[in-house]
Amino acid sequence: MRDKKPSFPKPLPSTHLLGTGTPMCAGCGGLQVLHEIYDLLGPKTVFVNAAGCLTLLAVYPFTPFRGGWLYTAMAAAPAGAQGVRDALDILVRQGRLPPEENLEVVALTGDGAAYGMGLSATSSAIERGLDFLYLCYDNEGYGNTGQQYSEATPHAARTATSGGPRGFMGYKKDLFAIWAAHRPAYAATVAGAEMLDLARKAEKAKSLRGPRLILALAPCPTGWDFDPQDTVEIGRLAVKTGIWPLKEYVDGRVVHTKIPRPRLPVEEYLKRQGRFAHLFEPVRQEELLKEIQAQVDAYWARVES
Amino acid sequence: MYRLRFHGRGGQGIKTAGRILGTAFFRAGFEVQDAPRYGAERRGAPIFAYVRAARRPIGERGIIRRPDLVAVADDTLVTIPAAGVLAGVAPHTVLLLSSSTPAEVWRERLQLPGLLLTLPLGEVWEAAAVRFLGATLAGAAARLVGVIPREALVEAIAEELAHLGPSLTTENQVRALAAFDLLAEHAGCVSEGPEPSAAAYEPPRWVELAPEGADLAAPAIHLPATSEAVPTGLWRVVRPLVDRSRCRRCAWICSTLCPDGTISVDGDGFPVIDYQHCKGCLVCAASCPARAIRVVPERQAARVG
Repeated sequence: MRDKKPSFPKPLPSTHLLGTGTPMCAGCGGLQVLHEIYDLLGPKTVFVNAAGCLTLLAVYPFTPFRGGWLYTAMAAAPAGAQGVRDALDILVRQGRLPPEENLEVVALTGDGAAYGMGLSATSSAIERGLDFLYLCYDNEGYGNTGQQYSEATPHAARTATSGGPRGFMGYKKDLFAIWAAHRPAYAATVAGAEMLDLARKAEKAKSLRGPRLILALAPCPTGWDFDPQDTVEIGRLAVKTGIWPLKEYVDGRVVHTKIPRPRLPVEEYLKRQGRFAHLFEPVRQEELLKEIQAQVDAYWARVES
Repeated sequence: MYRLRFHGRGGQGIKTAGRILGTAFFRAGFEVQDAPRYGAERRGAPIFAYVRAARRPIGERGIIRRPDLVAVADDTLVTIPAAGVLAGVAPHTVLLLSSSTPAEVWRERLQLPGLLLTLPLGEVWEAAAVRFLGATLAGAAARLVGVIPREALVEAIAEELAHLGPSLTTENQVRALAAFDLLAEHAGCVSEGPEPSAAAYEPPRWVELAPEGADLAAPAIHLPATSEAVPTGLWRVVRPLVDRSRCRRCAWICSTLCPDGTISVDGDGFPVIDYQHCKGCLVCAASCPARAIRVVPERQAARVG
């Protein structure tokens, strides 16, 4: 695999659809995931973008997209996707749009919208069986406004609104399980650093119809406080320590696509990020570290039992 | 009235420098205005912050066009017109550059009528140095103004950086005071600029625009990937260089992982980096299995690359 371009699921593209020159931070994990997935979805894609960091991709007169983009309020991306889907279906039915020019509708939101504000609209859209792909770039906080906590913020992380020696007191919501409970057509977790796993899942999602989720961990140099060059390493460590399980839900079953063996201590992931620095300095918070490790262990014990 | 401007890139502590200096002025008994100014761009993009301080209420608003002091955290910005470092520099304006290039070289290059000082405050591509750049620059500026006592600077840093915890606050104070002391011989070199008269005020001119059809006047974008007109390569302080003798031509790796999609693959299978848009995050260098991507400071890159 070293020197040869992998043919799985097909050669990864070496020219990219998403335009350069976007205002995202250097090393943005969300942008990385979007550009990887866009290459596989192709130009016949329309993005319905809820307010968040990636909204800034398309600021008039600049856009990195090759096709349509629609901006919606934070909680309304699935509703916007419904409108676009309906309009496209009507145009095709009336013969005003050739079927080969039909578009894939992608709701593109951050975790603030996906886990919190937009969840009600998402639940309803899945319930209606809306044919759309939901791409969430999860940087575990309201990154666009300075990394306030969101419902995706992990336990003990420091955020702009979770200071103090113990960081964020809550726990990350399990959005994948919430989607799976709706029995969607497809749901998957991905990481930009695990590009082959991501490519296979994007292809799979593209081949299905109905409500589909791709939930991507988006390491955020600015909000998580690490050097931009470590974006890939942080993503890999999230997978290797088991804190970000790679899995998919299809045909009523959850399958883990990469089981980390041996699983690294979660500390290896935490200590690379400034948002967890208070767990190690000035004194090591053994109790909190143990609690986080125990949660990860318990998760994998359930998976492997 | 003092009118001071800090320049740098997002992530280099420019906003912090403005806040610290503003608070220090306030503690020294001044009326103060301080505000950062940046667009939707992120880490790496040129930003500035400005501070006004006076012994009487400040009626003036908006950005500072005639600065008494321009303090620059990142000397690579001086030659970038869009960064506006030299905008409005008058004969009385003092220019302070954080630069390892000697002041004589800068004087020769820029040929400015006013005082030009340099301080080697740390290289902007070293994360450890950047961490303290804002406070250090504020300390230097405080001394050049000459009306801010040491205690006011120390207290301002404690107040503005309290959220970082005691050890980082102390480190910032130590570095700011070192810069403060280093510039003792230039204390008070910044003078209060002349007050602009209302008579000299030039009102904005009325521009007559012909009415346009809705298809032109509406903010719709009809071209794909127009973002490529934005030269985000200007954000870069370091440059990744591909060493073809070591490259194993597995360019699908760096090309896929580059968050901004700035790496394409040439006919021979080598990666080609688009320096017009590469933001210098160095994800490519960190992820290269063959370690075939070297990193050089941008100002040396012209010579090596």
